[in-house]
Amino acid sequence: MSKKSTPKPAAPAVKKGTAKGKAIGRTKAPAKKQPAVYARFHWTQRIAHFLLLTSFSLLGLTGLPQKFPLAGWAQAMIRFFGGIEMTRSLHHVFAVVLMLLTIYHIIDIGSKIFVLRVPLTMLPVIKDVKDAWQAFLYNLGVARTRPQMGRYTFEEKLEYWALVWGTIIMGLTGFMMWNPIATARILPGEAIPAAKAAHGGEALLAVAAIFIWHMYSVHIRRFNKSMFTGRLSEEEMLHEHPLELADIKAGLAERPVDSRTLRRRQRIYWPIAGLLTVAMLFGVYGFVGAETTATIAPPETQIEIFVPQTPTPLPTPAPGPLTWEAAIGPLFQQQCGICHASRAPTGLSLTSYAEALQGGSNGAVILPGDSINSLLVLVQAEGSHPATLRSADLERVRDWIDAGAPER
Amino acid sequence: MHAPGTHSSTRRLRIPIFVVGIALLGTVLAILTRPAGASPSPLPADLPQNEACLTCHGRPGQQRPLPDGGALVLTIDPAHYDDSVHSNLPCTDCHTTISQFPHPELTARSAREYTLEMYTVCQACHAEQYDATLDSVHQRALAGGNTNAAVCTDCHNPHTQTPITDRSGTLLPEARLHIPQTCARCHSTIYDQYAHSVHGAALTGEGNPDVPTCMDCHGVHDIGDPTTNEFRLNSPLLCAGCHTDPERMQPYGISTQVLNTYVADFHGTTVTLFESTSPDQPTNKPVCYDCHGIHAIAPVDDPVNGLAMKENILIRCQQCHPDASANFPDAWMSHYIPDSQNYPLVYYVNLFYKFFIPGVLGPMILFVISDFVRRLIDRRKGAKRV
Repeated sequence: MSKKSTPKPAAPAVKKGTAKGKAIGRTKAPAKKQPAVYARFHWTQRIAHFLLLTSFSLLGLTGLPQKFPLAGWAQAMIRFFGGIEMTRSLHHVFAVVLMLLTIYHIIDIGSKIFVLRVPLTMLPVIKDVKDAWQAFLYNLGVARTRPQMGRYTFEEKLEYWALVWGTIIMGLTGFMMWNPIATARILPGEAIPAAKAAHGGEALLAVAAIFIWHMYSVHIRRFNKSMFTGRLSEEEMLHEHPLELADIKAGLAERPVDSRTLRRRQRIYWPIAGLLTVAMLFGVYGFVGAETTATIAPPETQIEIFVPQTPTPLPTPAPGPLTWEAAIGPLFQQQCGICHASRAPTGLSLTSYAEALQGGSNGAVILPGDSINSLLVLVQAEGSHPATLRSADLERVRDWIDAGAPER
Repeated sequence: MHAPGTHSSTRRLRIPIFVVGIALLGTVLAILTRPAGASPSPLPADLPQNEACLTCHGRPGQQRPLPDGGALVLTIDPAHYDDSVHSNLPCTDCHTTISQFPHPELTARSAREYTLEMYTVCQACHAEQYDATLDSVHQRALAGGNTNAAVCTDCHNPHTQTPITDRSGTLLPEARLHIPQTCARCHSTIYDQYAHSVHGAALTGEGNPDVPTCMDCHGVHDIGDPTTNEFRLNSPLLCAGCHTDPERMQPYGISTQVLNTYVADFHGTTVTLFESTSPDQPTNKPVCYDCHGIHAIAPVDDPVNGLAMKENILIRCQQCHPDASANFPDAWMSHYIPDSQNYPLVYYVNLFYKFFIPGVLGPMILFVISDFVRRLIDRRKGAKRV
């Protein structure tokens, strides 16, 4: 490929050319001695491109890990960005940059179409399909020559319109994911996961296309620096945009507009463009801010942790018939049994009905029907016995004796 | 001629019982009459030791009043004790301070204090389990001054605990049934929720061995704090432990795709990423239990709370998205993998890109390769010409 001309001397010529009001950034360098240099991209376009490549790359870098969240590389990247919430926030910020850039581009294109009335060289035409086919056939060795192309080759148009398509899809689906509640008011809820699927699929396509198509066309095949320097040499023009070069040389590329007409068009266009810009900026504001407060954290469940079950009451004499077997026998066994388990130590055994009624070394302790004179009751009531029955239990014993001290 | 045999055995027993009785009586009297300077008598050495203890403690209704107004229950049911895992241990293995009668003065002012004084003896034999409890939420609560926090003996009554596991260490089915009831002693309101849940009802109703008990989610001994961010972020994997197991889910016809469909969704992706990148950070994205319930997990076809009803899901959505409309729940694909029947729009979008991506990239790659090769050839030819 051709060597590029030294840009420095050509620069004033380029500026002079644009100042004449020639169609956007296209002029032939008049300096005879210097190799000719052709302006290709205005500085505003180059800045826009820089913003585009930055936001696109960062959108890809923050977006792709979200598409493959389980992959190790993705998690490493998310960690690098400061966690998933931060990754999403960054993705949103770069999305806003891209949205603002899109607004700028729309207004800029509008000005070119309606004010400057430049030829619509980026519009796809049938020739582009023919060119692509011819280029392919040439590559295969079937066609004898490469296609002759104008200002924008079919490769460039494909890329531009792919970007337009991608930005529309990503913007729409991005809006749906960013504002799912508003979306579900109009569309079925299913549209939101569908938007997510499309957003991810489109992202893969866009990134892959950039790597395959863009990288090859302007970086690998030949490093085309015009997007950074703004110009192409005559040789580059001859190789890549011969028809445009021919138009320039023939003076056909220029469409001079007299300043009065220009001012009239501007007076009509810019107010409209201003309104449009405000409307679109308002749209971005809605895009970004509509649902920021629509989500709250899942409510915490409040439940008393320590709520012991009603504790099992301590064993009490089973309520039942007031007989030896059901009540008094077990009571004596519990309360008196340690010592009065047999006659031996104390002279009184309370283990069986017969023994209890029989009494001890001091004679009968239970007089059926006569609790007042029963020795057991007297001793217990006095309170000097080593172990004393609770008053409620003693009351039951009294009742039992008064009832005739029944065995069962 | 068997009668004399039994007679002689009772007779043999009578003498020791008598001896013990005398000893007890003597000491009781001694304490009553001479509170100071009484010489304690050793427990009878000629008796199997536990029998000596059970002579008194085997009697029903034994209790000792405590300064706080409560009582320490002193009765050990010999039958229960004999069935317990500790039946072959002498009482004094745990009650190490007791070797004679009267016993040393109780220092505990309440039954709870007594428990808290005693439970540490478990570590002598059960060091592994005891050490595990040191990391538990109960132990932390106890250290923080909450004396209600459970210690070993609150869950395992040492005098009645029957075997919990078989020889291989697997939990016995009947022991599983008792787990929720054990926790319920302190956490009764949670138990009430659990008991009516799809899991609890199956456990208590039919003894279902597949449903989780408290332990399966909260662990045992080293029970963690379930209110932490870590627990929350890890909880989907906890549920998935059973719910992605085809063997366990198959009999009930429950999908095992619940985890991957959750993780594929916005909420699940976020939680998964939090879990792996910042497990201690809070997230406002829901986990399984935010929609399905924590302990009161209802079957999905439950008419009141079941999530198979869109209206019921909407209520869950609105907990976090108060403005959510009737369409909104469909933004969540209800654990379905989209196909032509369920969430067809998503399915067809995916299908479109399955063809569209290679449909665009394929020709691009083809052209780029052809162009690259062609230019190599051209360059070589050009070089030759020069």
